[in-house]
Amino acid sequence: MSEGRWLVEMRGIVKRFDGVEALAGVDFAVGYQEVVGLLGDNGAGKSTLIKVLTGVYPPDDGEIYFEGRPVRFRSPREARALGIETVYQDLALVEMMSIARNFFLGREPVRRVGPFSFLDMREMEQVTRQVLEEIGIRVRSVWEPVSVLSGGERQSIAIGRALHFGVRLLILDEPTSALSIKETRKVLGYVEEVRRRGLSVIFITHNIYHVYPVADRLVILSHGRKIGDFRKTDVSPEMVAELIAGGITLPEEGKP
Amino acid sequence: MDPQAVEARVQAQARRRIRGISLAELRRYPEVGALAGFLAVFLGFAIAAPYFLTLDSLAGIMTIAAELGLVAIGVTLLMIAGEFDLSVGSVLGVSAMAFALMARAGIPHLLAFLAALSLAAAIGALNGWVVTRGRLPSFIVTLGSMMFWRGVLLAVTGGFPIAYEGKSLLMFVLSGRLPGGFHASALWFLTVALIATLVLTRTPFGNAIFASGGNPQAARALGVEVARVKQIGFILTAVLAALAGIIQFSRFGSVDPLRGEGVELEAIAATVTGGTLLTGGYGSVIGTVLGALIVGMVRNGLVLAGAPAYWYRAFIGLVLVGAVIINLRIRRSG
Repeated sequence: MSEGRWLVEMRGIVKRFDGVEALAGVDFAVGYQEVVGLLGDNGAGKSTLIKVLTGVYPPDDGEIYFEGRPVRFRSPREARALGIETVYQDLALVEMMSIARNFFLGREPVRRVGPFSFLDMREMEQVTRQVLEEIGIRVRSVWEPVSVLSGGERQSIAIGRALHFGVRLLILDEPTSALSIKETRKVLGYVEEVRRRGLSVIFITHNIYHVYPVADRLVILSHGRKIGDFRKTDVSPEMVAELIAGGITLPEEGKP
Repeated sequence: MDPQAVEARVQAQARRRIRGISLAELRRYPEVGALAGFLAVFLGFAIAAPYFLTLDSLAGIMTIAAELGLVAIGVTLLMIAGEFDLSVGSVLGVSAMAFALMARAGIPHLLAFLAALSLAAAIGALNGWVVTRGRLPSFIVTLGSMMFWRGVLLAVTGGFPIAYEGKSLLMFVLSGRLPGGFHASALWFLTVALIATLVLTRTPFGNAIFASGGNPQAARALGVEVARVKQIGFILTAVLAALAGIIQFSRFGSVDPLRGEGVELEAIAATVTGGTLLTGGYGSVIGTVLGALIVGMVRNGLVLAGAPAYWYRAFIGLVLVGAVIINLRIRRSG
Protein backbone atom coordinates (compact mmCIF):
# COMPACT_ATOMS: atom_id res chain seq x y z
CA MET A 1 0.00 0.00 0.00
CA SER A 2 1.51 3.31 -1.04
CA GLU A 3 1.53 6.29 1.31
CA GLY A 4 -0.40 8.37 -1.16
CA ARG A 5 -3.40 6.13 -1.32
CA TRP A 6 -5.22 7.19 1.82
CA LEU A 7 -6.48 10.57 2.88
CA VAL A 8 -6.79 9.27 6.41
CA GLU A 9 -5.60 6.02 7.88
CA MET A 10 -6.12 4.60 11.37
CA ARG A 11 -3.99 1.64 12.47
CA GLY A 12 -4.58 -0.68 15.39
CA ILE A 13 -6.88 1.69 17.24
CA VAL A 14 -7.69 0.57 20.79
CA LYS A 15 -10.09 2.42 23.07
CA ARG A 16 -11.18 1.26 26.51
CA PHE A 17 -13.86 2.69 28.76
CA ASP A 18 -13.54 1.57 32.39
CA GLY A 19 -11.66 -1.51 31.27
CA VAL A 20 -14.18 -2.46 28.59
CA GLU A 21 -12.66 -2.53 25.13
CA ALA A 22 -14.88 -0.43 22.87
CA LEU A 23 -12.34 -0.73 20.05
CA ALA A 24 -10.03 -3.74 19.98
CA GLY A 25 -7.37 -2.83 17.44
CA VAL A 26 -9.28 -1.48 14.47
CA ASP A 27 -7.69 -0.58 11.12
CA PHE A 28 -9.69 1.87 9.09
CA ALA A 29 -8.82 4.03 6.13
CA VAL A 30 -10.49 6.37 3.67
CA GLY A 31 -9.10 7.10 0.22
CA TYR A 32 -9.19 10.35 -1.72
CA GLN A 33 -12.63 11.11 -3.12
CA GLU A 34 -13.94 7.91 -1.65
CA VAL A 35 -17.29 7.36 0.06
CA VAL A 36 -16.93 4.74 2.78
CA GLY A 37 -19.98 3.28 4.47
CA LEU A 38 -19.18 2.54 8.13
CA LEU A 39 -21.67 -0.08 9.25
CA GLY A 40 -22.50 -2.02 12.35
CA ASP A 41 -25.22 -2.62 14.88
CA ASN A 42 -25.73 -0.35 17.87
CA GLY A 43 -22.72 -0.55 20.14
CA ALA A 44 -20.45 -1.97 17.45
CA GLY A 45 -17.96 0.87 17.92
CA LYS A 46 -18.80 3.10 14.94
CA SER A 47 -19.24 6.28 16.94
CA THR A 48 -16.25 5.58 19.16
CA LEU A 49 -14.03 5.07 16.12
CA ILE A 50 -15.18 8.38 14.65
CA LYS A 51 -14.75 10.19 17.95
CA VAL A 52 -11.17 8.91 18.14
CA LEU A 53 -10.61 10.08 14.58
CA THR A 54 -11.98 13.57 15.24
CA GLY A 55 -10.18 14.20 18.51
CA VAL A 56 -13.11 13.79 20.90
CA TYR A 57 -11.42 10.80 22.57
CA PRO A 58 -7.70 10.10 22.60
CA PRO A 59 -6.96 6.49 21.55
CA ASP A 60 -5.42 4.16 24.14
CA ASP A 61 -3.32 2.62 21.40
CA GLY A 62 -2.83 2.90 17.63
CA GLU A 63 -1.86 5.58 15.14
CA ILE A 64 -3.67 7.99 12.90
CA TYR A 65 -2.24 9.32 9.65
CA PHE A 66 -3.63 12.21 7.67
CA GLU A 67 -2.25 12.40 4.14
CA GLY A 68 0.49 10.03 5.27
CA ARG A 69 1.61 12.17 8.19
CA PRO A 70 1.03 10.99 11.76
CA VAL A 71 -1.44 13.18 13.65
CA ARG A 72 -2.75 13.28 17.19
CA PHE A 73 -5.80 15.48 17.71
CA ARG A 74 -6.41 16.75 21.20
CA SER A 75 -9.76 18.33 20.36
CA PRO A 76 -12.36 18.40 17.57
CA ARG A 77 -11.08 21.88 16.84
CA GLU A 78 -7.70 20.53 15.78
CA ALA A 79 -9.27 17.90 13.52
CA ARG A 80 -11.43 20.59 12.05
CA ALA A 81 -8.44 22.76 11.31
CA LEU A 82 -7.16 19.99 9.00
CA GLY A 83 -10.50 19.77 7.25
CA ILE A 84 -12.16 16.88 9.05
CA GLU A 85 -15.75 17.76 9.84
CA THR A 86 -18.53 15.72 11.38
CA VAL A 87 -22.23 16.27 10.77
CA TYR A 88 -24.14 14.65 13.62
CA GLN A 89 -27.69 13.45 13.24
CA ASP A 90 -29.29 15.70 15.85
CA LEU A 91 -26.36 17.90 16.64
CA ALA A 92 -25.78 19.45 13.27
CA LEU A 93 -27.49 22.76 13.94
CA VAL A 94 -28.75 24.86 16.83
CA GLU A 95 -32.51 24.90 16.32
CA MET A 96 -33.33 28.19 17.93
CA MET A 97 -30.69 30.11 16.02
CA SER A 98 -31.20 31.49 12.55
CA ILE A 99 -30.05 29.60 9.48
CA ALA A 100 -27.36 32.16 8.68
CA ARG A 101 -26.01 32.23 12.24
CA ASN A 102 -25.87 28.44 12.24
CA PHE A 103 -24.13 28.36 8.90
CA PHE A 104 -21.25 30.46 10.18
CA LEU A 105 -21.19 29.27 13.80
CA GLY A 106 -17.60 29.12 14.98
CA ARG A 107 -16.33 30.65 11.72
CA GLU A 108 -18.09 33.98 11.55
CA PRO A 109 -16.99 36.54 9.00
CA VAL A 110 -16.16 39.77 10.79
CA ARG A 111 -15.60 43.40 10.02
CA ARG A 112 -13.12 45.18 12.21
CA VAL A 113 -14.08 48.52 13.70
CA GLY A 114 -11.11 49.74 15.66
CA PRO A 115 -10.26 47.04 18.20
CA PHE A 116 -13.69 45.39 17.85
CA SER A 117 -14.86 42.64 15.53
CA PHE A 118 -18.46 42.74 14.41
CA LEU A 119 -20.32 40.11 12.43
CA ASP A 120 -20.44 40.83 8.74
CA MET A 121 -24.19 40.38 8.47
CA ARG A 122 -24.36 41.17 4.77
CA GLU A 123 -21.77 38.55 3.91
CA MET A 124 -23.54 36.04 6.16
CA GLU A 125 -26.84 36.72 4.42
CA GLN A 126 -25.45 36.58 0.88
CA VAL A 127 -23.42 33.40 1.30
CA THR A 128 -26.16 31.56 3.16
CA ARG A 129 -28.76 32.52 0.60
CA GLN A 130 -26.49 31.41 -2.23
CA VAL A 131 -25.77 28.03 -0.63
CA LEU A 132 -29.46 27.46 0.10
CA GLU A 133 -30.21 28.21 -3.53
CA GLU A 134 -27.60 25.69 -4.69
CA ILE A 135 -29.08 23.04 -2.42
CA GLY A 136 -32.57 23.92 -3.55
CA ILE A 137 -34.03 25.04 -0.24
CA ARG A 138 -36.37 28.00 -0.30
CA VAL A 139 -36.95 30.01 2.85
CA ARG A 140 -38.51 33.37 3.48
CA SER A 141 -35.34 34.65 5.04
CA VAL A 142 -31.99 33.25 6.13
CA TRP A 143 -32.70 34.85 9.51
CA GLU A 144 -35.53 32.40 10.14
CA PRO A 145 -34.78 29.93 12.91
CA VAL A 146 -33.58 26.50 11.82
CA SER A 147 -36.67 25.00 13.43
CA VAL A 148 -38.71 25.95 10.33
CA LEU A 149 -36.69 23.47 8.25
CA SER A 150 -37.33 19.76 7.74
CA GLY A 151 -34.84 17.14 8.92
CA GLY A 152 -33.51 16.60 5.41
CA GLU A 153 -33.10 20.31 4.82
CA ARG A 154 -31.09 20.58 8.04
CA GLN A 155 -28.79 17.74 7.01
CA SER A 156 -28.34 19.31 3.60
CA ILE A 157 -27.46 22.69 5.08
CA ALA A 158 -24.96 21.11 7.45
CA ILE A 159 -23.37 19.35 4.48
CA GLY A 160 -23.47 22.53 2.42
CA ARG A 161 -21.70 24.30 5.24
CA ALA A 162 -18.92 21.71 5.24
CA LEU A 163 -18.55 22.13 1.48
CA HIS A 164 -18.42 25.88 1.70
CA PHE A 165 -15.65 25.85 4.27
CA GLY A 166 -13.42 23.59 2.22
CA VAL A 167 -13.67 20.40 4.22
CA ARG A 168 -11.49 17.45 3.04
CA LEU A 169 -13.16 14.63 4.92
CA LEU A 170 -16.85 14.78 5.72
CA ILE A 171 -18.19 12.42 8.37
CA LEU A 172 -21.93 11.89 8.35
CA ASP A 173 -23.31 10.29 11.50
CA GLU A 174 -26.58 8.50 10.72
CA PRO A 175 -27.59 11.27 8.32
CA THR A 176 -30.65 9.50 6.98
CA SER A 177 -31.98 7.44 9.86
CA ALA A 178 -34.60 10.01 10.86
CA LEU A 179 -35.62 10.99 7.34
CA SER A 180 -38.46 10.07 5.02
CA ILE A 181 -37.61 8.06 1.90
CA LYS A 182 -37.93 11.12 -0.28
CA GLU A 183 -35.67 13.17 1.90
CA THR A 184 -33.17 10.34 2.22
CA ARG A 185 -32.90 10.28 -1.55
CA LYS A 186 -32.18 14.00 -1.58
CA VAL A 187 -29.44 13.72 1.00
CA LEU A 188 -27.88 10.79 -0.88
CA GLY A 189 -27.88 12.89 -4.03
CA TYR A 190 -26.08 15.50 -2.08
CA VAL A 191 -23.44 13.04 -0.92
CA GLU A 192 -22.76 12.24 -4.60
CA GLU A 193 -22.30 15.94 -5.21
CA VAL A 194 -19.85 16.14 -2.32
CA ARG A 195 -17.71 13.39 -3.85
CA ARG A 196 -17.84 15.04 -7.27
CA ARG A 197 -16.36 18.10 -5.68
CA GLY A 198 -13.39 16.06 -4.52
CA LEU A 199 -14.17 15.34 -0.88
CA SER A 200 -13.96 12.05 0.96
CA VAL A 201 -16.94 10.90 2.98
CA ILE A 202 -17.47 8.53 5.89
CA PHE A 203 -21.14 7.61 6.02
CA ILE A 204 -22.10 6.00 9.35
CA THR A 205 -25.28 3.99 9.45
CA HIS A 206 -26.69 0.69 10.62
CA ASN A 207 -28.86 0.43 7.52
CA ILE A 208 -26.93 -0.87 4.50
CA TYR A 209 -29.72 0.16 2.13
CA HIS A 210 -29.18 3.81 3.00
CA VAL A 211 -25.52 3.84 2.14
CA TYR A 212 -25.31 1.19 -0.59
CA PRO A 213 -26.35 3.50 -3.45
CA VAL A 214 -23.55 5.99 -2.79
CA ALA A 215 -20.73 4.02 -1.15
CA ASP A 216 -17.50 2.95 -2.86
CA ARG A 217 -16.45 0.74 0.02
CA LEU A 218 -18.18 -0.79 3.01
CA VAL A 219 -16.57 -1.39 6.40
CA ILE A 220 -18.43 -3.40 8.98
CA LEU A 221 -17.72 -3.27 12.72
CA SER A 222 -18.97 -5.60 15.40
CA HIS A 223 -18.11 -5.58 19.10
CA GLY A 224 -15.22 -3.23 18.57
CA ARG A 225 -13.62 -5.25 15.74
CA LYS A 226 -13.63 -4.86 12.00
CA ILE A 227 -15.42 -7.89 10.56
CA GLY A 228 -15.66 -6.78 6.95
CA ASP A 229 -14.03 -4.42 4.46
CA PHE A 230 -15.34 -4.71 0.90
CA ARG A 231 -15.48 -2.80 -2.30
CA LYS A 232 -19.16 -2.32 -2.96
CA THR A 233 -18.91 -4.18 -6.28
CA ASP A 234 -17.78 -7.30 -4.42
CA VAL A 235 -20.81 -7.69 -2.18
CA SER A 236 -24.58 -7.44 -2.29
CA PRO A 237 -26.49 -5.42 0.28
CA GLU A 238 -28.11 -8.66 1.48
CA MET A 239 -24.72 -10.15 2.30
CA VAL A 240 -23.72 -7.09 4.28
CA ALA A 241 -27.03 -7.01 6.13
CA GLU A 242 -26.50 -10.65 7.02
CA LEU A 243 -23.01 -9.89 8.28
CA ILE A 244 -24.22 -7.00 10.45
CA ALA A 245 -27.02 -9.09 11.89
CA GLY A 246 -24.87 -12.22 12.32
CA GLY A 247 -22.16 -10.27 14.04
CA ILE A 248 -19.04 -12.06 15.16
CA THR A 249 -19.82 -15.52 13.87
CA LEU A 250 -17.85 -14.83 10.70
CA PRO A 251 -14.07 -15.12 10.62
CA GLU A 252 -12.10 -11.93 10.92
CA GLU A 253 -11.01 -10.29 7.68
CA GLY A 254 -7.40 -9.76 6.75
CA LYS A 255 -5.99 -6.37 7.63
CA PRO A 256 -5.54 -3.88 4.80
CA MET B 1 -40.31 20.78 -0.26
CA ASP B 2 -42.16 20.75 -3.60
CA PRO B 3 -42.84 23.96 -5.50
CA GLN B 4 -46.57 23.90 -4.82
CA ALA B 5 -46.12 23.79 -1.10
CA VAL B 6 -43.58 26.58 -1.32
CA GLU B 7 -46.03 28.58 -3.39
CA ALA B 8 -48.77 27.98 -0.82
CA ARG B 9 -46.48 29.06 1.94
CA VAL B 10 -45.46 32.21 0.09
CA GLN B 11 -49.10 33.08 -0.52
CA ALA B 12 -50.09 32.47 3.09
CA GLN B 13 -47.17 34.65 4.04
CA ALA B 14 -48.37 37.39 1.69
CA ARG B 15 -51.87 37.24 3.15
CA ARG B 16 -50.52 37.59 6.65
CA ARG B 17 -48.39 40.50 5.53
CA ILE B 18 -51.41 42.31 4.18
CA ARG B 19 -53.12 41.87 7.53
CA GLY B 20 -50.23 43.60 9.21
CA ILE B 21 -46.87 42.44 10.44
CA SER B 22 -46.03 38.83 9.75
CA LEU B 23 -46.20 36.63 12.85
CA ALA B 24 -43.22 34.65 11.66
CA GLU B 25 -41.22 37.81 11.54
CA LEU B 26 -42.37 38.87 15.00
CA ARG B 27 -41.14 35.54 16.28
CA ARG B 28 -37.60 36.56 15.50
CA TYR B 29 -37.81 39.29 18.13
CA PRO B 30 -37.90 37.89 21.68
CA GLU B 31 -38.79 41.28 23.11
CA VAL B 32 -42.20 41.59 21.43
CA GLY B 33 -44.07 40.18 24.43
CA ALA B 34 -42.17 42.45 26.79
CA LEU B 35 -42.98 45.47 24.65
CA ALA B 36 -46.68 44.61 24.78
CA GLY B 37 -46.46 44.12 28.56
CA PHE B 38 -44.52 47.35 28.94
CA LEU B 39 -47.15 49.34 27.04
CA ALA B 40 -50.02 47.70 28.93
CA VAL B 41 -48.49 48.38 32.36
CA PHE B 42 -47.51 51.89 31.32
CA LEU B 43 -50.98 52.76 30.03
CA GLY B 44 -52.63 51.11 33.01
CA PHE B 45 -50.74 53.20 35.53
CA ALA B 46 -50.93 56.34 33.40
CA ILE B 47 -54.71 56.05 33.67
CA ALA B 48 -55.05 54.67 37.20
CA ALA B 49 -52.28 56.45 39.07
CA PRO B 50 -52.21 60.22 39.38
CA TYR B 51 -48.74 61.76 39.11
CA PHE B 52 -47.47 58.60 37.33
CA LEU B 53 -46.57 60.65 34.28
CA THR B 54 -44.61 63.29 36.18
CA LEU B 55 -40.88 63.67 35.69
CA ASP B 56 -40.24 62.75 39.31
CA SER B 57 -42.11 59.50 39.00
CA LEU B 58 -40.46 58.55 35.70
CA ALA B 59 -37.04 59.34 37.16
CA GLY B 60 -37.82 57.17 40.17
CA ILE B 61 -38.83 54.31 37.88
CA MET B 62 -35.64 54.73 35.91
CA THR B 63 -33.50 54.59 39.05
CA ILE B 64 -35.09 51.35 40.23
CA ALA B 65 -34.91 49.86 36.73
CA ALA B 66 -31.27 50.86 36.31
CA GLU B 67 -30.03 49.16 39.48
CA LEU B 68 -32.08 46.03 38.89
CA GLY B 69 -31.44 46.11 35.14
CA LEU B 70 -27.66 46.11 35.45
CA VAL B 71 -27.91 42.88 37.41
CA ALA B 72 -30.52 41.48 35.03
CA ILE B 73 -28.41 42.14 31.91
CA GLY B 74 -25.72 39.82 33.24
CA VAL B 75 -28.32 37.27 34.27
CA THR B 76 -29.78 37.48 30.75
CA LEU B 77 -26.51 36.83 28.94
CA LEU B 78 -25.79 33.92 31.25
CA MET B 79 -29.31 32.51 30.92
CA ILE B 80 -29.07 32.62 27.12
CA ALA B 81 -25.77 30.74 27.47
CA GLY B 82 -27.70 28.12 29.43
CA GLU B 83 -26.85 28.88 33.06
CA PHE B 84 -28.40 30.51 36.13
CA ASP B 85 -26.79 32.75 38.67
CA LEU B 86 -28.67 32.92 41.95
CA SER B 87 -25.70 34.45 43.75
CA VAL B 88 -26.05 37.93 42.18
CA GLY B 89 -27.95 39.33 45.18
CA SER B 90 -25.24 38.20 47.58
CA VAL B 91 -22.47 39.39 45.26
CA LEU B 92 -24.23 42.76 45.07
CA GLY B 93 -24.27 42.94 48.88
CA VAL B 94 -20.70 41.72 49.33
CA SER B 95 -19.33 44.18 46.77
CA ALA B 96 -21.23 47.15 48.18
CA MET B 97 -20.05 46.24 51.66
CA ALA B 98 -16.46 45.75 50.50
CA PHE B 99 -16.53 49.14 48.82
CA ALA B 100 -18.05 50.78 51.92
CA LEU B 101 -15.50 49.24 54.29
CA MET B 102 -12.59 50.25 52.07
CA ALA B 103 -13.95 53.77 51.63
CA ARG B 104 -14.33 54.12 55.36
CA ALA B 105 -10.79 52.89 55.86
CA GLY B 106 -9.63 55.80 53.75
CA ILE B 107 -8.73 53.88 50.62
CA PRO B 108 -9.17 56.03 47.48
CA HIS B 109 -12.60 55.41 45.99
CA LEU B 110 -11.40 54.47 42.53
CA LEU B 111 -9.07 51.88 44.01
CA ALA B 112 -11.83 50.56 46.29
CA PHE B 113 -14.17 50.42 43.31
CA LEU B 114 -11.73 48.40 41.22
CA ALA B 115 -10.95 46.12 44.16
CA ALA B 116 -14.65 45.45 44.81
CA LEU B 117 -15.25 44.67 41.11
CA SER B 118 -12.23 42.35 41.14
CA LEU B 119 -13.58 40.57 44.19
CA ALA B 120 -16.87 40.06 42.37
CA ALA B 121 -15.04 38.85 39.27
CA ALA B 122 -13.23 36.30 41.42
CA ILE B 123 -16.51 35.07 42.92
CA GLY B 124 -18.02 34.84 39.43
CA ALA B 125 -14.97 32.96 38.17
CA LEU B 126 -15.26 30.53 41.06
CA ASN B 127 -18.97 29.97 40.30
CA GLY B 128 -18.16 29.35 36.65
CA TRP B 129 -15.23 27.12 37.43
CA VAL B 130 -17.23 24.87 39.74
CA VAL B 131 -20.12 24.68 37.26
CA THR B 132 -18.07 23.97 34.13
CA ARG B 133 -15.33 21.85 35.69
CA GLY B 134 -17.61 19.90 37.98
CA ARG B 135 -20.35 19.67 35.33
CA LEU B 136 -22.80 20.63 38.03
CA PRO B 137 -26.14 22.41 37.61
CA SER B 138 -25.56 26.13 38.05
CA PHE B 139 -28.86 26.41 39.90
CA ILE B 140 -27.42 24.38 42.78
CA VAL B 141 -23.89 25.77 42.65
CA THR B 142 -25.01 29.40 42.70
CA LEU B 143 -27.66 28.66 45.32
CA GLY B 144 -24.81 27.47 47.51
CA SER B 145 -22.74 30.47 46.50
CA MET B 146 -25.63 32.78 47.34
CA MET B 147 -25.99 31.33 50.85
CA PHE B 148 -22.25 31.18 51.45
CA TRP B 149 -21.50 34.80 50.58
CA ARG B 150 -24.56 36.09 52.41
CA GLY B 151 -23.40 34.18 55.46
CA VAL B 152 -19.89 35.57 55.16
CA LEU B 153 -21.32 39.06 54.83
CA LEU B 154 -23.47 38.67 57.96
CA ALA B 155 -20.61 37.13 59.94
CA VAL B 156 -18.03 39.74 58.98
CA THR B 157 -20.30 42.70 59.76
CA GLY B 158 -21.94 41.14 62.78
CA GLY B 159 -25.25 41.99 61.10
CA PHE B 160 -24.81 45.75 61.46
CA PRO B 161 -25.32 48.21 58.63
CA ILE B 162 -22.56 50.57 57.60
CA ALA B 163 -23.16 54.23 56.91
CA TYR B 164 -20.75 56.46 55.05
CA GLU B 165 -20.89 60.23 54.91
CA GLY B 166 -18.18 60.80 52.34
CA LYS B 167 -18.74 61.96 48.80
CA SER B 168 -16.52 61.62 45.79
CA LEU B 169 -16.41 62.21 42.08
CA LEU B 170 -16.63 58.47 41.52
CA MET B 171 -19.80 58.18 43.57
CA PHE B 172 -21.28 61.09 41.64
CA VAL B 173 -20.35 59.57 38.30
CA LEU B 174 -21.93 56.29 39.36
CA SER B 175 -25.14 57.57 40.83
CA GLY B 176 -25.18 61.37 41.10
CA ARG B 177 -28.36 63.36 40.68
CA LEU B 178 -29.00 64.69 37.21
CA PRO B 179 -31.51 67.32 36.15
CA GLY B 180 -35.12 66.17 36.42
CA GLY B 181 -34.48 63.86 39.35
CA PHE B 182 -32.74 61.21 37.27
CA HIS B 183 -29.64 59.47 38.54
CA ALA B 184 -26.42 58.86 36.63
CA SER B 185 -27.07 55.15 37.04
CA ALA B 186 -29.68 55.44 34.27
CA LEU B 187 -26.90 56.32 31.82
CA TRP B 188 -24.80 53.37 33.00
CA PHE B 189 -27.78 51.10 32.59
CA LEU B 190 -28.51 52.23 29.03
CA THR B 191 -24.83 52.15 28.05
CA VAL B 192 -24.31 48.65 29.37
CA ALA B 193 -27.56 47.53 27.71
CA LEU B 194 -26.40 48.93 24.38
CA ILE B 195 -23.00 47.25 24.61
CA ALA B 196 -24.53 43.94 25.73
CA THR B 197 -26.99 44.07 22.83
CA LEU B 198 -24.22 44.73 20.34
CA VAL B 199 -22.12 41.90 21.75
CA LEU B 200 -25.04 39.49 21.75
CA THR B 201 -26.42 40.21 18.30
CA ARG B 202 -23.47 41.51 16.32
CA THR B 203 -20.34 39.64 17.41
CA PRO B 204 -19.03 36.08 17.12
CA PHE B 205 -19.03 35.89 20.92
CA GLY B 206 -22.78 36.61 20.92
CA ASN B 207 -23.23 33.78 18.45
CA ALA B 208 -21.27 31.54 20.79
CA ILE B 209 -23.51 32.57 23.72
CA PHE B 210 -26.67 31.62 21.82
CA ALA B 211 -25.16 28.34 20.64
CA SER B 212 -23.84 27.39 24.09
CA GLY B 213 -27.34 27.63 25.53
CA GLY B 214 -29.25 26.41 22.50
CA ASN B 215 -27.35 23.21 21.86
CA PRO B 216 -24.05 22.85 23.71
CA GLN B 217 -23.09 19.59 21.97
CA ALA B 218 -23.62 21.03 18.51
CA ALA B 219 -21.75 24.17 19.52
CA ARG B 220 -18.83 22.11 20.79
CA ALA B 221 -18.80 20.03 17.62
CA LEU B 222 -18.47 23.27 15.66
CA GLY B 223 -15.52 24.42 17.71
CA VAL B 224 -17.29 26.77 20.13
CA GLU B 225 -15.55 26.69 23.51
CA VAL B 226 -18.72 26.34 25.52
CA ALA B 227 -17.08 26.14 28.95
CA ARG B 228 -15.11 29.30 28.27
CA VAL B 229 -18.21 31.15 27.09
CA LYS B 230 -20.05 30.21 30.27
CA GLN B 231 -17.07 31.07 32.43
CA ILE B 232 -16.94 34.56 30.94
CA GLY B 233 -20.71 34.82 31.44
CA PHE B 234 -20.41 34.08 35.16
CA ILE B 235 -17.65 36.65 35.60
CA LEU B 236 -19.56 39.30 33.67
CA THR B 237 -22.73 38.67 35.67
CA ALA B 238 -20.93 39.00 39.00
CA VAL B 239 -19.14 42.19 37.92
CA LEU B 240 -22.42 43.78 36.81
CA ALA B 241 -24.03 42.81 40.13
CA ALA B 242 -21.12 44.48 41.90
CA LEU B 243 -21.50 47.60 39.77
CA ALA B 244 -25.19 47.74 40.70
CA GLY B 245 -24.31 47.28 44.38
CA ILE B 246 -21.78 50.12 44.43
CA ILE B 247 -24.17 52.35 42.47
CA GLN B 248 -26.86 51.66 45.05
CA PHE B 249 -24.44 52.34 47.89
CA SER B 250 -23.47 55.66 46.26
CA ARG B 251 -27.15 56.61 46.18
CA PHE B 252 -28.01 55.60 49.76
CA GLY B 253 -24.71 56.29 51.47
CA SER B 254 -25.22 53.14 53.49
CA VAL B 255 -25.28 49.39 53.12
CA ASP B 256 -26.69 46.67 55.31
CA PRO B 257 -25.73 43.00 55.28
CA LEU B 258 -29.05 41.99 53.76
CA ARG B 259 -28.61 44.35 50.79
CA GLY B 260 -29.47 42.65 47.52
CA GLU B 261 -31.53 39.87 49.04
CA GLY B 262 -34.21 38.80 46.55
CA VAL B 263 -32.54 40.66 43.69
CA GLU B 264 -31.59 37.34 42.06
CA LEU B 265 -35.25 36.43 41.63
CA GLU B 266 -36.27 39.93 40.50
CA ALA B 267 -33.48 39.81 37.92
CA ILE B 268 -34.72 36.45 36.66
CA ALA B 269 -38.26 37.86 36.58
CA ALA B 270 -37.13 40.87 34.52
CA THR B 271 -35.16 38.60 32.21
CA VAL B 272 -37.93 36.10 31.59
CA THR B 273 -40.56 38.84 31.26
CA GLY B 274 -38.27 40.23 28.57
CA GLY B 275 -38.65 37.09 26.49
CA THR B 276 -35.49 35.20 27.40
CA LEU B 277 -36.05 31.48 27.72
CA LEU B 278 -35.33 29.94 31.12
CA THR B 279 -33.92 26.96 29.24
CA GLY B 280 -31.38 29.05 27.32
CA GLY B 281 -30.52 29.61 23.69
CA TYR B 282 -32.98 32.40 23.10
CA GLY B 283 -33.46 35.88 24.48
CA SER B 284 -32.67 39.55 24.30
CA VAL B 285 -31.10 42.28 26.38
CA ILE B 286 -33.60 44.83 25.07
CA GLY B 287 -36.36 42.60 26.42
CA THR B 288 -34.63 42.59 29.79
CA VAL B 289 -34.42 46.40 29.76
CA LEU B 290 -38.18 46.46 29.20
CA GLY B 291 -38.62 43.84 31.92
CA ALA B 292 -36.63 45.92 34.41
CA LEU B 293 -38.66 49.00 33.46
CA ILE B 294 -41.86 47.05 34.05
CA VAL B 295 -40.63 46.09 37.54
CA GLY B 296 -39.77 49.76 38.19
CA MET B 297 -43.17 50.95 36.95
CA VAL B 298 -45.02 48.44 39.10
CA ARG B 299 -43.07 49.37 42.21
CA ASN B 300 -43.61 53.10 41.70
CA GLY B 301 -47.03 52.93 40.12
CA LEU B 302 -48.70 50.89 42.84
CA VAL B 303 -47.63 53.39 45.47
CA LEU B 304 -48.84 56.30 43.32
CA ALA B 305 -52.12 54.48 42.73
CA GLY B 306 -52.61 54.33 46.49
CA ALA B 307 -52.20 50.58 46.82
CA PRO B 308 -50.27 49.30 49.85
CA ALA B 309 -46.65 48.66 48.86
CA TYR B 310 -47.08 45.05 49.91
CA TRP B 311 -48.99 44.36 46.70
CA TYR B 312 -45.82 44.94 44.73
CA ARG B 313 -44.62 41.33 44.77
CA ALA B 314 -48.04 39.94 43.99
CA PHE B 315 -48.35 42.21 40.98
CA ILE B 316 -44.86 41.37 39.71
CA GLY B 317 -45.80 37.70 39.96
CA LEU B 318 -48.85 38.25 37.79
CA VAL B 319 -46.91 40.28 35.23
CA LEU B 320 -44.23 37.59 35.06
CA VAL B 321 -46.61 34.73 34.40
CA GLY B 322 -48.66 36.84 31.97
CA ALA B 323 -45.58 37.80 29.99
CA VAL B 324 -44.37 34.21 29.78
CA ILE B 325 -47.75 33.13 28.42
CA ILE B 326 -47.66 35.86 25.76
CA ASN B 327 -44.06 35.04 24.82
CA LEU B 328 -44.88 31.37 24.45
CA ARG B 329 -47.88 32.09 22.23
CA ILE B 330 -45.80 34.24 19.91
CA ARG B 331 -43.10 31.59 19.67
CA ARG B 332 -45.57 28.82 18.89
CA SER B 333 -47.46 30.75 16.21
CA GLY B 334 -46.56 31.35 12.60
